[in-house]
Amino acid sequence: MKKTQSIALLSLASLVIFGFFAAFLFRTPGDYSDAERRALAQMPAFDTEALASGRFMEKFEQYSLDQFPLREKMRTLKALSVRYLFRQKDDHGLYTTDGHLCKLEYPLSDQKVSLSTQKLREVYEAYLRDSECKIYLSVVPDKNYFLAPKMGYPAMDYEALVQKVQRDLDFAAYIDIFGTLSAENYYKTDPHWKQETLLPTAQYLAAGLGVRISTQYTQNTLDIPFYGVYVGQSALPCKPDTIRYLTSDILDGCTVTDYDAGKAKPGVLYDREKASGKDPYELFLMGANPLITVENPNADGDRELILFRDSFGSSLAPLLVSGYSKITLVDLRYIRSALLGSFIDFQAQDVLLLYSTTIFNNNISM
Amino acid sequence: MLFSGIPFLYFFLPLTVLLYAIAPRKCKNAVLLLASMVFYAWGEKRLVFLFAATIFMGWLLGFPIEKFRGRALGKVFLWLSVLLDLGLLCYFKYADFFIANFNAAFSLSVPLLHIALPIGISFYVFQILSYTIDVYRGSVPAQKNLINFAAYVSLFPQLIAGPIVRYADVADQLQNRSHSLEGAAIGLRRFLLGLGKKVLLANVLGEVCTDFRRSTDGSVLFLWLYAVCFMMQVYFDFSGYSDMAIGLGKLFGFRFPENFNYPYISRSITEFWRRWHISLGSWFRDYVYIPLGGNRRGIARQLWNILIVWMLTGLWHGAAWNFVLWGLYFAVLLVIEKLGFKKVLDRHKALGHVYVLFAVLLGFVLFNAADLAQAGQDILGLFSFGRLPLVSTEALYALRSNGVVLLLAILGATPVPKKLAAKLSESKHGGRVFSVLEPIALTALLLVVTAYLVDGSFNPFLYFRF
Repeated sequence: MKKTQSIALLSLASLVIFGFFAAFLFRTPGDYSDAERRALAQMPAFDTEALASGRFMEKFEQYSLDQFPLREKMRTLKALSVRYLFRQKDDHGLYTTDGHLCKLEYPLSDQKVSLSTQKLREVYEAYLRDSECKIYLSVVPDKNYFLAPKMGYPAMDYEALVQKVQRDLDFAAYIDIFGTLSAENYYKTDPHWKQETLLPTAQYLAAGLGVRISTQYTQNTLDIPFYGVYVGQSALPCKPDTIRYLTSDILDGCTVTDYDAGKAKPGVLYDREKASGKDPYELFLMGANPLITVENPNADGDRELILFRDSFGSSLAPLLVSGYSKITLVDLRYIRSALLGSFIDFQAQDVLLLYSTTIFNNNISM
Repeated sequence: MLFSGIPFLYFFLPLTVLLYAIAPRKCKNAVLLLASMVFYAWGEKRLVFLFAATIFMGWLLGFPIEKFRGRALGKVFLWLSVLLDLGLLCYFKYADFFIANFNAAFSLSVPLLHIALPIGISFYVFQILSYTIDVYRGSVPAQKNLINFAAYVSLFPQLIAGPIVRYADVADQLQNRSHSLEGAAIGLRRFLLGLGKKVLLANVLGEVCTDFRRSTDGSVLFLWLYAVCFMMQVYFDFSGYSDMAIGLGKLFGFRFPENFNYPYISRSITEFWRRWHISLGSWFRDYVYIPLGGNRRGIARQLWNILIVWMLTGLWHGAAWNFVLWGLYFAVLLVIEKLGFKKVLDRHKALGHVYVLFAVLLGFVLFNAADLAQAGQDILGLFSFGRLPLVSTEALYALRSNGVVLLLAILGATPVPKKLAAKLSESKHGGRVFSVLEPIALTALLLVVTAYLVDGSFNPFLYFRF
């Protein structure tokens, strides 16, 4: 190796190694990763007990990864290397196709689907079997259903999933909404669907439920760029999505009550404050929430709907409101089913079990 | 601590290099010893004292072995050293294996000890043994300075996954070694290339192997893909580690022995084992095979010696029957070659290449199996045309997604890239371009590797379990 070459290599590599070392020493550690939506590890306490148990070393390794200077840029460099240098088709299961960022949902886990349906069956046995409720079931396909097979990515056997769910929840009448959806109904950077495109789906569901719903809405646009959950996970540079939401006089007249932490407090259908937070999709019905009621004083009749749902239900529920005097939204991921009886009187309401394939395939209880 | 980890690259390494650079010459080994102990304790906090005690005993026994060399007492002390070191290895590595087999053979239920294997024990025990045996043989004088001896055994670049550096290889360098910019740059280049091999090739191919094990979508194609990926993973993992060790050694002024020399271009298994884990092969040759009589006592004894050495080689890799079988599998191939097949291979070079790749691939399928049942299942599966689907969705996806990495790995397992680089650097104009581009490319490699590490990918070194 020539002398100049040696000096150049030693200088450049030292610049990187000692540069990052110095940056580690002098930078202020971050608390939270907006991209990944999680708290970052902090420098662990240095004491003999932590050293002897090995806890210090473990935590230090996590700290060194979480607090690495230019961490997000480094993650982007990795994602770009995976895609362009090594031509791999996904990175941590995330792939880009047709302008969409997607996460592989594969393979079908019979065991987890069983755990999910078992959870719903428990609710049925505890509250619905002896009631006069009419029970319906619908499954929301994740966007892999439309994109993965077409682009050569492995996709779970959706037909088998739906059949299994129908079999396990044979007390519910199935409403198939797959045919009303396409990839265009989903955000490009997020797993969720776009409310402004869901009217045909909502109408189809409403027909299945036997109610008529309004089709007259005003479309509003959120003036915050929406970088969906996959942007942070993939670390790839992406154009943001736009969140649009539908309002109407009926929706404006509704009363929303939020039962988070067990106490009733006023809520909103569209939470603009939350929309400017970490996850703008929380605009819809205030994001993750165990129990919410939406009361519609302008309803034609007094029919009520109890919607067992995941986050897909948050943006769909407002479109069903016009058909009901009251909708109660339950998210079983955040409330124990044993507590439901304290909040809901199961009598003769419509009950819709509306969950996405992703939730079924990853255990509803998780 | 892993070489391919942020704490090593961006904390331990710069601090150690700084301390080493400013330390006076006579204190440099002490700095290396201190750094090595921190390095070891980072991953093995409980057994660091056992490690220190083993080093101390090895050093202490060197004196009487040297003093009574050629006399019965010298032999006694040598055997004491051998028994202590091998006893330690047997206790930590093989106790449960022996108990389990004893229980199975005699229908007993002696409880297992469930002892955690100290990191690097297979390597440092062999290094200490090489020292005491060489002192007994008179090849090297006993090391008077405990710090120098402890620095030799614990030297962090080669402490936990080799190469097995014999005391004789570095005895002079421990006391008298030179440092230069060029040496440091060559060491750094070697280190970065090894780091790239490990993180960008071995780890990525390892993920394919992990996906294969998790998958329920089995097929013949997936089994072959797994077998090829594992064959490449184990090579880039281990040779990458050896490159990093040799490079780091060079950075601190040491010349460690080479451990790999493009083993997959071999034309016979005999040649393969002269190119694969060279330091282990030569250790067994010099300290087991030759003392057993080597090839000096007739063909029958030679073949027996080969079987013994390869059974031990297999056992060295792990306390399980698939490792023993793996060793014996190579012993049988070596014996067949000794009995005349090697001459056939020498005449038909293409056949030799195909045979080696196929034999090694099967060997590694056996090597990587959790147990003999899985090994049998995997090997049968490779040829289960008709019983297993030929292709599966996951196999096709894994192949398409990792095709470029696999091709790069296959190319990198041959001397072609090295020859191309040498040709370019030796040409008039190419040399200038190369001298400018190489430092930039290696720094870019460091950045990309760092990016992979920060993103927190799959990272264990396979040879740590040995």
